[in-house]
Amino acid sequence: MGCSLPLIRLENISKSFGRVHANRDVSLEIEEGKILALLGENGAGKSTLMSILAGQLQPDRGHIFHKGKRVVFSSTEKAIEAGIGMVYQHFKLVNALTVAENVYLGTRGGFGLNWKKIRKNVRELGLQYGIDIDPGARIDGLSMGERQQVEILKLLHRQSNILIFDEPTAVLTPREADNLFAAMKQMVARGKGIVFISHKLEEVMAIADNIAILRRGQIVDRVPAQEVTSTAELAERMVGREVLLKVDKSPVEPKQIVLKVDRLSDDRLKDVGFDLRQGEILGLVGVAGNGQKQLVETICGLRRPKGDNIRILGLEWGRFFRKPDWDKTLSYIPEDRQGLATCQGLDLLDNFLLTTRGGFTRGPWLQYDQARVKAEHLLEKFDIRPPDLTACAWQLSGGNLQKLVLAREFYRKPRLIVAEQPTQGLDISAAEDVWRLLLKARDAAGILLVTGDLSEALALSDRIGVMFDGRLVACFAADDQSKVAEIPQLMAGLSV
Amino acid sequence: MMLRMRIVKRQEPLGMWGSCLVLISALVLAVMLSGLLLWIGGTSPGGGIAALFQGAFGSRWALEDSVVKAIPIFLCSLGVAVAFRLKVWNIGAEGQFALGAVGATWVALSFPEWPKPLLIPAMIVMAMAGGGLWGFIPALLRQKLRTNEIIVTLMLNYIAILVLDYLVYGAWKDPASFGFPMTRAFSDQAVVGKIGSTNINWGLLHCVVLGAGVWAFFRFTRLGFDLKASGDNVKAAKYAGMPYDYLVMLVMIMSGALAGWAGFLEASATVNRLQPSIMVGYGYTAIVVAWLARLNPLSIGIGSILLAGLRVGVENLQLDLQVPAAFGGILEGLILLTVLAGGLFTHYRIEQRKNP
Repeated sequence: MGCSLPLIRLENISKSFGRVHANRDVSLEIEEGKILALLGENGAGKSTLMSILAGQLQPDRGHIFHKGKRVVFSSTEKAIEAGIGMVYQHFKLVNALTVAENVYLGTRGGFGLNWKKIRKNVRELGLQYGIDIDPGARIDGLSMGERQQVEILKLLHRQSNILIFDEPTAVLTPREADNLFAAMKQMVARGKGIVFISHKLEEVMAIADNIAILRRGQIVDRVPAQEVTSTAELAERMVGREVLLKVDKSPVEPKQIVLKVDRLSDDRLKDVGFDLRQGEILGLVGVAGNGQKQLVETICGLRRPKGDNIRILGLEWGRFFRKPDWDKTLSYIPEDRQGLATCQGLDLLDNFLLTTRGGFTRGPWLQYDQARVKAEHLLEKFDIRPPDLTACAWQLSGGNLQKLVLAREFYRKPRLIVAEQPTQGLDISAAEDVWRLLLKARDAAGILLVTGDLSEALALSDRIGVMFDGRLVACFAADDQSKVAEIPQLMAGLSV
Repeated sequence: MMLRMRIVKRQEPLGMWGSCLVLISALVLAVMLSGLLLWIGGTSPGGGIAALFQGAFGSRWALEDSVVKAIPIFLCSLGVAVAFRLKVWNIGAEGQFALGAVGATWVALSFPEWPKPLLIPAMIVMAMAGGGLWGFIPALLRQKLRTNEIIVTLMLNYIAILVLDYLVYGAWKDPASFGFPMTRAFSDQAVVGKIGSTNINWGLLHCVVLGAGVWAFFRFTRLGFDLKASGDNVKAAKYAGMPYDYLVMLVMIMSGALAGWAGFLEASATVNRLQPSIMVGYGYTAIVVAWLARLNPLSIGIGSILLAGLRVGVENLQLDLQVPAAFGGILEGLILLTVLAGGLFTHYRIEQRKNP
């Protein structure tokens, strides 16, 4: 380690936005042939730090050294020249173009293009790193995992030496994630340096050489991965206190049926049927894209079912959605917080009123003053930052936005909750808060929990349902150990 | 030396003073560019601009004329702003204005003897119905046949003008007009009068009341909130159970009704009859004003007077310096372009590239 200079060394980097210190005196080293994992809660300053590295933001103070030489990344081109490449959570690809075209996009020099040769080059480049992808395929026909591979190929083609992955596994299936890790190992074996940003502690443990933990803009811990013994230890280092990964839940007597789905079929769903009672959590698991989205959208009134297959709180689907009440009814906590659950251009008060406005309506008027009092209270109770009702939703970090949505939806005292990936992208302490809220809400409500995180489903659910190819292939009590053991096969569509 | 600049996205929205500065700079730039055009055309830029302002706001008569022209622009603009709030692109204020004038005229010609307190409200109702109908048609087509409202509202403008022409050249033509296309003059009861000894009619008061009403509607009512939210994010509005399709219908009818009201005022207060010459493009200027004002009712008021002044001012320019009146259209376009371009600065800032 000591013999070679680090590829990139950050020295006392500070950056603030207004009064918020996003980064304070951050010093880090990215070394050749090593994977550095960057862990931190939402809003800890990971994105800011990476934007500084990528030349999108300028630090207020501090220096960047590239192979021992001081550099200033005044633009993204400068950062690219220095060999820094980012794989963003939201891919930057042209959907209508092919893989090879995307890889060569932005390449300079030469006038004519020999597509045959280019495709061959792309193919060979990919195979060096175990990435097997058809260079002639169009992006819009590819899965999320394949698109990510194209992003990686782009960087490899530019001969980036420092690759930064921002939560790369968030959009991947477990298998795709394994492929990604294999490719990452290939890259470090060839001397590249990798920064891996993730919330998933197991992944960090499995793949990282070094782990740096960022909290409130500062590096609070830097450890070699071998020295970490368990994910619990890592989690503790991250939030600064012992975290209960196991949630205590006492059984609640299931009461009346709040949701009844009876042989629901459409272009994606096949004969889905189940009951949900007040006082229980039904965890719906499965690989993403097996009909969960369609099922949730139908239950929550965004898709019309073909027949009378759904009864919500005792009412037929059509009658329920004709004139829904604002409280003591159905609350939907969608996965897409920015696009579906909030209006990004409106302030927090308006976003609070989005689903609770029924409670503040008198005649034609909306009682903003009363709503303001309630919303102020919720901002404090849920520790939403910034605690300012006039801030716009787009100014909030993902975690704070989710807290706002949860605060709003629980304020409605729901009887039926459909929670879709409620802790995705949240740090552990925030996730724990969400779990506790859901368990508390279970007394009064039936909860349909759709999650890609099996441990979350097992920790919270009273019953587990497994979806595959539009069907609910199994539904059983969460303490049925023999069934629980079969979940991976069920998710993969193997009959057991 | 090369200018090394780069555009950086703002982390926090631009404050009020910053926005004002951007707006004023944009207007100054538009005036300077038009001065350049005057100079190319062989007119002294300083004298030309001075004549323009003198003609628009330089005398009591000019100022009153500007306000009179601002009234229909304001109401049409208020209307399109309501639709634009929901990101429904109503380009049809011109046609809705025409249908409003037709609706009001029908009442005025059919019941000329009604007392004023009955006749004027009846004319307003029919004007709103006419304009509202012209807004409802494209909304319905959009809902049922998935047509694009921009195209349909625009096309309906031409139909509306032809309807107006058909009536004033035919059934409603005044037999005593020596063949000119116009209806009989309205009875006194059907005319919205002037304020005191000025040339400004009481339509100004209508504007103030309606402007305040629209502002309060968006600020305090549940329906206004639904519109605001739907305009920001349609998916979130549907998620929150808002009846989006119904809201689109509603704003198009409201939008058309306000433009129709403008048509009523123009026929009743300004020309006291219906004639094709009332169609001078207020409905299109209204779109420019709505954008300049960023859909805010108070700013729409200011913008309306400004662009109405431009219309009045270019007449002076034409008389004094023989600059074609089309220059007004050029200046209107320049203002729109510079202000829209200035919008860049509300979301981004430009900073110098630092080099080591």
